[in-house]
Amino acid sequence: MPESILVVVEQREGRLNRVSWETLAAGQELAAATGATLNAGVLGGGVEPIAREIAAKKVAAVYDLESPLLNRYTPDAFSAALKQFIDGHPHWLVLMPHSYQVRDFVPKLATAMGRTVISDCIGYKKDGERLLFTRQMFQGKFAADVSFSCPAPWFITFQNGAFRGDRVEAGTSPAPVETVNLDLSQTAIRSQPEEVFKEAKQAVDLTQAEIIVSVGRGIKEQKNIELAKQLAEALGGEIAASRPICDSGWLPMDRQIGSSGQTVTPKVYVALGISGAIQHIVGMKGARSVIAVNKDREAPIFEIADVAVVADLFEVVPPLIDAVKKAKAG
Amino acid sequence: MLVFRKPPENVDRPQMPADVVIVGGGPSGMGCALRLAQLIDQHNSRRPEAPINKENIYVLEKAREVGQHCLSGALLDPRSMRDLVPSFENEAPLDAQVSKEAVYFLTEKQRFKFPVTPPPLRDHGNYVISLNRFVKWLGTKVEEAGITVFPGFAGAELLLDGDRVSGVRTDDKGLDRQNQPKSNFEPGYELSAKIVILAEGTRGSLTKQLIRRFDLMKDRNPQTYGQGVKELWELPPGRIARGEVIYTMGWPLTPREYGGAWVYGGKDNIVSLGFVTGLDYPDPRLDPQRVLQQFKQHPSMRQLLEGGKMIRYGAKSLPYGGWWAIPPLAGKGWMIVGDAAGMLNSQRLKGIHLAIESGKLAAETAFEALAKNDFSASSLSTFQSRVESSWIRDELWKVRNFHQGFEHGLWGGLFHSAIQQVTGGRGVRDRYGAKPGYTNMKKLDQLPVDGGPERQLIGPFKGDGRLTFDKLTDLYHSGTKHEEDQPAHLVIQDTNICESRCIVEFGSPCQNFCPANVYEMVDEPSAANGKRISLNPSNCVHCKACDLHDPYQIITWVPPEGGGGPNYDGM
Repeated sequence: MPESILVVVEQREGRLNRVSWETLAAGQELAAATGATLNAGVLGGGVEPIAREIAAKKVAAVYDLESPLLNRYTPDAFSAALKQFIDGHPHWLVLMPHSYQVRDFVPKLATAMGRTVISDCIGYKKDGERLLFTRQMFQGKFAADVSFSCPAPWFITFQNGAFRGDRVEAGTSPAPVETVNLDLSQTAIRSQPEEVFKEAKQAVDLTQAEIIVSVGRGIKEQKNIELAKQLAEALGGEIAASRPICDSGWLPMDRQIGSSGQTVTPKVYVALGISGAIQHIVGMKGARSVIAVNKDREAPIFEIADVAVVADLFEVVPPLIDAVKKAKAG
Repeated sequence: MLVFRKPPENVDRPQMPADVVIVGGGPSGMGCALRLAQLIDQHNSRRPEAPINKENIYVLEKAREVGQHCLSGALLDPRSMRDLVPSFENEAPLDAQVSKEAVYFLTEKQRFKFPVTPPPLRDHGNYVISLNRFVKWLGTKVEEAGITVFPGFAGAELLLDGDRVSGVRTDDKGLDRQNQPKSNFEPGYELSAKIVILAEGTRGSLTKQLIRRFDLMKDRNPQTYGQGVKELWELPPGRIARGEVIYTMGWPLTPREYGGAWVYGGKDNIVSLGFVTGLDYPDPRLDPQRVLQQFKQHPSMRQLLEGGKMIRYGAKSLPYGGWWAIPPLAGKGWMIVGDAAGMLNSQRLKGIHLAIESGKLAAETAFEALAKNDFSASSLSTFQSRVESSWIRDELWKVRNFHQGFEHGLWGGLFHSAIQQVTGGRGVRDRYGAKPGYTNMKKLDQLPVDGGPERQLIGPFKGDGRLTFDKLTDLYHSGTKHEEDQPAHLVIQDTNICESRCIVEFGSPCQNFCPANVYEMVDEPSAANGKRISLNPSNCVHCKACDLHDPYQIITWVPPEGGGGPNYDGM
């Protein structure tokens, strides 16, 4: 068994998806825990700069998997490319972020290779010699440890926020970058992607936001949303909300955080007038730091807040905006 | 602005012919489907020259997976399973055989054990089950027997051809909040059927349409209901025996309300506990979820649950009305089975065995109709006589006046049930009448502001997060999920009544009896009474309490987009 781990990072139009760093961190941890060698791979057309970026980190080798047919993402090309590469370079574990793109092609890849995927994992465990991967069940209420019973390669995808991307270790010297020119056939690609567009002008990917200012019922009126927006702008963050706000149409539904909206893991989550029902908490409990402002001392949001402000948000937020602006200007 | 679900106009709907459509894949629907498959198989091996086809028999189930909307205590009286699946005791997921039972009367601080367990509550020979797991298993039997089950598809509308039920339309998928088709819009199917069997559970929405259309309840007692709220707990070992059954009466209810609790010891230290509150209480501020939270604070329950963990939550309404409240069971092209028909023994608190048995009898009727190719009312109405000459009738006849005896509270109820016990169920008259439970609701100006003797059951409640829970936290444990971008499936005929009358007269009781926080009165400075009604349809656990219990009867529960709803794993 070649004891090596492959982390497949994700790029689009030459830009690395931030969540790739988390997967790389997972790879580094797993390599250290198992003594395996860690390699990384990036798929695309002309993506060597990204391979070089990864090579600065603590990895044994980086593979720049090239084909002009990988310029635009298609599930056929991406799965065929990875299959070809892994067939030629056997790996024990193949780690990927649980992104929309990976979700799209990894079932096809695993099936084509006669393997299975343990998807959306939040961590791993070593049980003696066995390696277990942890997945959430019942909307995060329970977790299950799952292991593979099939031969390698084992495909694993990790949930957004499961590992800390900022903990990726740098290498002592740049790792070698090997360019692999893949031989893909145009006829095997059955779909032809058109130009990428945003469905709505406001569509945002809150999962990528580092700072989120989120509002709940305590904001009282639609016109007060503006205040929260100003704070978000001052902080350079995104605005989001709990369900009642989006239900009332005060903010679009793609800004909703919680069990029926998005799950986010920003560095800072500012909760303004959010009581913190469990349905909301499950969507933001992975935030690094939570600042909550609420009039109700008993509000459950305070149980998970790092900074708890028991006060009227309308008294707290305006001076806060000024302070942030001042700090940034200074 | 609230927009309610209704079928969009000018939609070309796919048509599909069927022989039999069973609406609802619970115990009655699955029992029916399995027996029908068995009868057809027997027929086909006896008469290979004239086979009956099973391919066009369908079960519609609105849950994403079979069993996910099934919730009950549950104790299973095995009577109706023995000839359906003779080896079921070895195969089916049964948690435990009942080993020990006790009935208690609770006061706030104490409990008094009944010296003997009343015969209807003796449960030796019955099984503690998770209805969810049991129905899942029964569903696999049905599919193995060659019947097609469509999970994720609800029966949304009855199709009529004159006075004949000619089929079922399934739910429209991909409507947005404004009831406009989205890019993934998929219109519901029109399944034309020779026989439609309604197995939808309490207050089935097609059953309601049928009853309205043909005025089926005209000389029946109105159906009355109870609201069961359940939690599943994982306890430290040794608290309760596997197969131990506890019933309680009394506190936290007062003698003016009907209801009681159950506690069943399952396997792996999992305990099912819940409280059924009769939906005929006088104070509109009462909240059945709150009643359960209060019940758990009784010293004996606190002791039982201390250090345990609540793992699931759910709610279901159940029909209490008994024999006199059962509508005609069959007509042109249709039959009604299980809870949809009101087949529940409210004295024994059991209905699963009756549901399955009624499903089997409907299957026999459907089989004969298929064999004779006769789908007339007279052919299908043999279902009625089958039920009337079965043990379903014997069992329900004995308790035909039971729940009605409690019309004036607990003490009168116990008096009547004692007399009924010695008169074969008759009591002091042949037929006790009933009135719809919501008509008992008193207006706020007739009630003490603080609730009086019910004060512990009303008002805001937060829970301590360990033993007791606020509604949203409980709701989270039901695993409920719906497509958010869809029209409201709680169709309110006239929201002016909510905002101008109900709020003043009854204090908007929908907020209280709904176990899932679907209904909220939110601040609206421009409204006459300062509030407007707001709905959270995606919280709905499909219990139908709103449809049953709103005092103006202006709410109609219609199925949301198929696949949405609670996730009652292990319930």
